[in-house]
Amino acid sequence: MNLFLWGALPYIAFTFLIVGTLVRFFYFERNWTTKSSEFLEKKQLRIANPLFHFGLLCVIGGHVVGVLIPKTWTAAIGINDHLYHEGALYMGAVAGIIFIVGFLLLMKRRFTVPAMKVNTSGLDKWLYLFLTLAIFSGMAGTLLNASGFFDYRVSIGPWFRSLLSFMPDPSLMEGVPFMFKFHMLAWMVVAIIFPFSRLVHCLSVPLNYLTRPFIVYRKRDEK
Amino acid sequence: MKIKAQVSMVLNLDKCLGCHTCSITCKNTWTNREGAEYMYFNNVETRPGVGYPRNWEDQEKWKGGWTLDNSGKLALSTGSKTNRLMKLFFHPEQPELKDYFEPWTYDYETLIHGGRKNNQPVARPRSLVTKQKMEVTWGPNWDDDLAGGQHARSDVNLTKMGQDIVFDYEEVFMRYLPRLCNHCLNPACVAACPSGAIYKRDEDGVVLVSQDVCRGWRHCVPSCPYKKIFYNWETNKAEKCVFCYPRLENGLPQICAETCVGRMRYVGVVFYDMDKVEAMAATKNEQDIYENTLDLILDPHDPEVIKAARAEGISEAWIKAAQKSPVYKLVKEWGVALPLHPEYRTLPMVWYVPPLSPILQRVTSDVYLPDAHEMRVPVQYLANLFTAGNTEILARTLQRVLDMREYMRRRETGDGPIEHKVDLTEDQMYGMYKLLALSKYNDRFVIPSDVKVSREGRLEMQHNRGFACPTGGCQ
Repeated sequence: MNLFLWGALPYIAFTFLIVGTLVRFFYFERNWTTKSSEFLEKKQLRIANPLFHFGLLCVIGGHVVGVLIPKTWTAAIGINDHLYHEGALYMGAVAGIIFIVGFLLLMKRRFTVPAMKVNTSGLDKWLYLFLTLAIFSGMAGTLLNASGFFDYRVSIGPWFRSLLSFMPDPSLMEGVPFMFKFHMLAWMVVAIIFPFSRLVHCLSVPLNYLTRPFIVYRKRDEK
Repeated sequence: MKIKAQVSMVLNLDKCLGCHTCSITCKNTWTNREGAEYMYFNNVETRPGVGYPRNWEDQEKWKGGWTLDNSGKLALSTGSKTNRLMKLFFHPEQPELKDYFEPWTYDYETLIHGGRKNNQPVARPRSLVTKQKMEVTWGPNWDDDLAGGQHARSDVNLTKMGQDIVFDYEEVFMRYLPRLCNHCLNPACVAACPSGAIYKRDEDGVVLVSQDVCRGWRHCVPSCPYKKIFYNWETNKAEKCVFCYPRLENGLPQICAETCVGRMRYVGVVFYDMDKVEAMAATKNEQDIYENTLDLILDPHDPEVIKAARAEGISEAWIKAAQKSPVYKLVKEWGVALPLHPEYRTLPMVWYVPPLSPILQRVTSDVYLPDAHEMRVPVQYLANLFTAGNTEILARTLQRVLDMREYMRRRETGDGPIEHKVDLTEDQMYGMYKLLALSKYNDRFVIPSDVKVSREGRLEMQHNRGFACPTGGCQ
């Protein structure tokens, strides 16, 4: 079971994430969209949406530092365990609160404004369920571990990096507290849903807009 | 000089009777599907009035089009590129459904299957968006033919006139303004699209949204000063008037033009100098933009222009069409067609012949034709619509149409030549009479069709018209 959860399931999730996204992009691009609902409801979105996305960016940044960067690197620039933990806890809590407040405001909007029904598909509802589980388990894990007894940088971090280097080491996940394990499972489900959902819009950040000329000309497809 | 061809349209407002046939045929062809119910790629507004969407001309609110920055360079009114990327999550200037109207149907079923009751059964309105019962408080052309009261009073072109507008019975006026996408030379929607999904077609200048590349960032919607880009709430992508490009490719006029009962739409090709577009759009004084746009449009009979056009790969059929173009005549040769709100700096390629109107009662004279300034529709009002407020250009334009009428009258009655100085020659005025008054089909529409596009696979797109992708897998 452990082998499946921490050695196989992550790869299943990655496969869905990457292959599914590529298939969607090349064969189903016509429905690749942000699925913006500002047209249907604007007032509540004004605060909630920027808050949510700003919080999200902070949280992603925190995960990159906490999971992808090995402990030895931060130690090398003189950040000891205590300092790291304090920083991660406080900054993480602030980012997490912004993120969660934004998320809750968005969910309130989505499930109370009548016009939003037309913008919420069945898949969206599943997505929101698993996003909720992922977000709250992550937040709960951080808060329950406020004392710092559990160091994810010697367990979850190396485990995740072992996945990326195609030498999975499920044994690293032994002894990880339940809330963190749950968080792992939640993100894997979200990764599986990702290519089918509206989440794909995060890959469309239009940065090349900054460099392209204003007016675009295009020849007709001679198909 | 880099020459490009543009398919362009002229609408002769003098002959618009406000029948909405253009809107209906357009709607039946393009927007009678889920998510697009509220869209009118073509609509007809009563002026003075608020239009569709409500008060679309109020750019203080919508920030549509372009402005000049401090250094005199063109900048989108909604902000710089970086500035607007910050608005991806929330765009303060984006219109909402209620700015257009909430589309609805009626519960017709209750009329038939309502069961036995004491009272007459009633078909109640039901929203086509939420499918819930709704109260209808605004709809398409809600202020049709009113041209008075509160709606007319909030017309931006009237409030700009400054003076106190009195809707005295003997001074009220009303005109129709059909509107569609202007397929601008300097389109703000194209410039605003973060994904680069909107483009100007190289061959004919038609502005299109790639339904594949659009990501629904919706920046085009507020940026278009004419509010002619729409957000589809079902497919979550942007849509706009496609100038009926499948018809154009087959040498047919747009469905709105084809079915125009008043025969007041003209479609033709013009050549323009692409290199000068930006400079002309950045004209310092907004009242000069119209005349500078005319400079962009090139004479298709000029051997230099023909040579340059061939160098760009423009075909002989297109050159011939440009030489016969009714649009070229109306816009450039005779100078009787004006762009709608040139001050938005998008250089629109749909033009309007401003309407004549009856002489004001209080002007006591026995002339056959009034002076432009004596007509019922105030010249200043029309100038705010078509010349960024320049009454001189507007009066001059109206005068040319009046001169044509007087010339034709004198021709019939044998009263001799017109006594005052006229801008156009007799041949030109006769040509204008033929085009504006007789308005024969083959004179109105000169559209080259030399495309080598295979039509295989087009039939299967008939149902979804290339917009929606109900079963997925459209490429």
